[in-house]
Amino acid sequence: MDKYSMRGLCIVFALLLMPVAIAPAQVPEVGAVLDRYKAFRPGKDDLAMYQIDWASSLQEAQKRALREKRPVFLVIIHAQYGDLSSGHC
Amino acid sequence: MLRPFIAASWHGHRNDPNIPDPVREVWQRKFRGRGFGGKQSNVDLAILDSEGNLVHWFDAFRRMGPRRVPDGGQGQKHESLGDYTVRGLKQAIPALDLSHAPTAEHPLKLPDLEQSGIRIFVRLLEERMIAYRAPVVEVVALNKKDWKTLNYPRKKRRVEAAALKKWLSQVYPPGVMERTSQQTKKVYQIDRIEGDLTIKPAGSDGKMRYALLRGKVRLTDEGPGDFTYGGELEVVLTYSESNPGPLSLRGVFEGIYPRYNPVQRQSRDIPLRAAFESLPEGDKTPRLFPQ
Repeated sequence: MDKYSMRGLCIVFALLLMPVAIAPAQVPEVGAVLDRYKAFRPGKDDLAMYQIDWASSLQEAQKRALREKRPVFLVIIHAQYGDLSSGHC
Repeated sequence: MLRPFIAASWHGHRNDPNIPDPVREVWQRKFRGRGFGGKQSNVDLAILDSEGNLVHWFDAFRRMGPRRVPDGGQGQKHESLGDYTVRGLKQAIPALDLSHAPTAEHPLKLPDLEQSGIRIFVRLLEERMIAYRAPVVEVVALNKKDWKTLNYPRKKRRVEAAALKKWLSQVYPPGVMERTSQQTKKVYQIDRIEGDLTIKPAGSDGKMRYALLRGKVRLTDEGPGDFTYGGELEVVLTYSESNPGPLSLRGVFEGIYPRYNPVQRQSRDIPLRAAFESLPEGDKTPRLFPQ
């Protein structure tokens, strides 16, 4: 096999391998975004509010309280708006 | 401390027609000509027994400024808002029957959906007022058409940011009083989402294919003054080897929110961040929508 044929064969092999080689090379880019997602997503301590046993309404809380014989912790907001469950207000 | 309780919130005004009895009782006591000199807040905390009787209530924020409490050693410290709330709760506890209260920690339960969608965490990195750093957690249900926009890209293609409005419109911070309608008292909703995003294949790990969605996004609310802000979106989507429908979505938004202070009549640029995750959670769940 002369050196030109050898080079041609190498090119063919390189081309055959290319799609395989490209794919893993791009995955680190994916990893970097996923790392940022992990860094931006609030941790357990920041989400402690969701460890409280919330009812969807006062009415539901009172129904459950009667059934489960438990007290109710009620947050009263003197305003026309305010979504305590999402935090958007 | 809140483990024994079932928590609920209620909001409204004193002239509302259907004020619940416990709220009416709290407000009757609160506004009974005690002359707080405008020092009371608009948030109250009330403790009810299991039969709905009001046991105790207190303003959620101290009226007389922080007091000093023992710091656990020899010294004293300023009473935190948390300490103050615990003190209020302790006043109620002797009057409550807690024999049926759970002793185990309540599991962390984030807002969720019964159908497929996206959970959005938003955070304003406000340095001056720590309360504004509290995360917002929203969930948005998505249908088959919404997901189809994010189908696997055989090659790089454009995606209009407007097509993602359902979930990107939740990327605004909490407590934006200056962007609230004086008539309805509601926060102006995000009206326009603009930006040319690109979605491109990003390889495979042999089990799943990946795609990256990226670009600049600009959000404009429905209020006056063309209030607008923007940032960069980066999202990773996963797909099976054979189906174009997304299996999962995770990503971030990083931008700047220009917060206007009407007293100082100036605007401050505050970093605004969001994280996105598809629901149901995880890559191993059935694909979000079968194609």
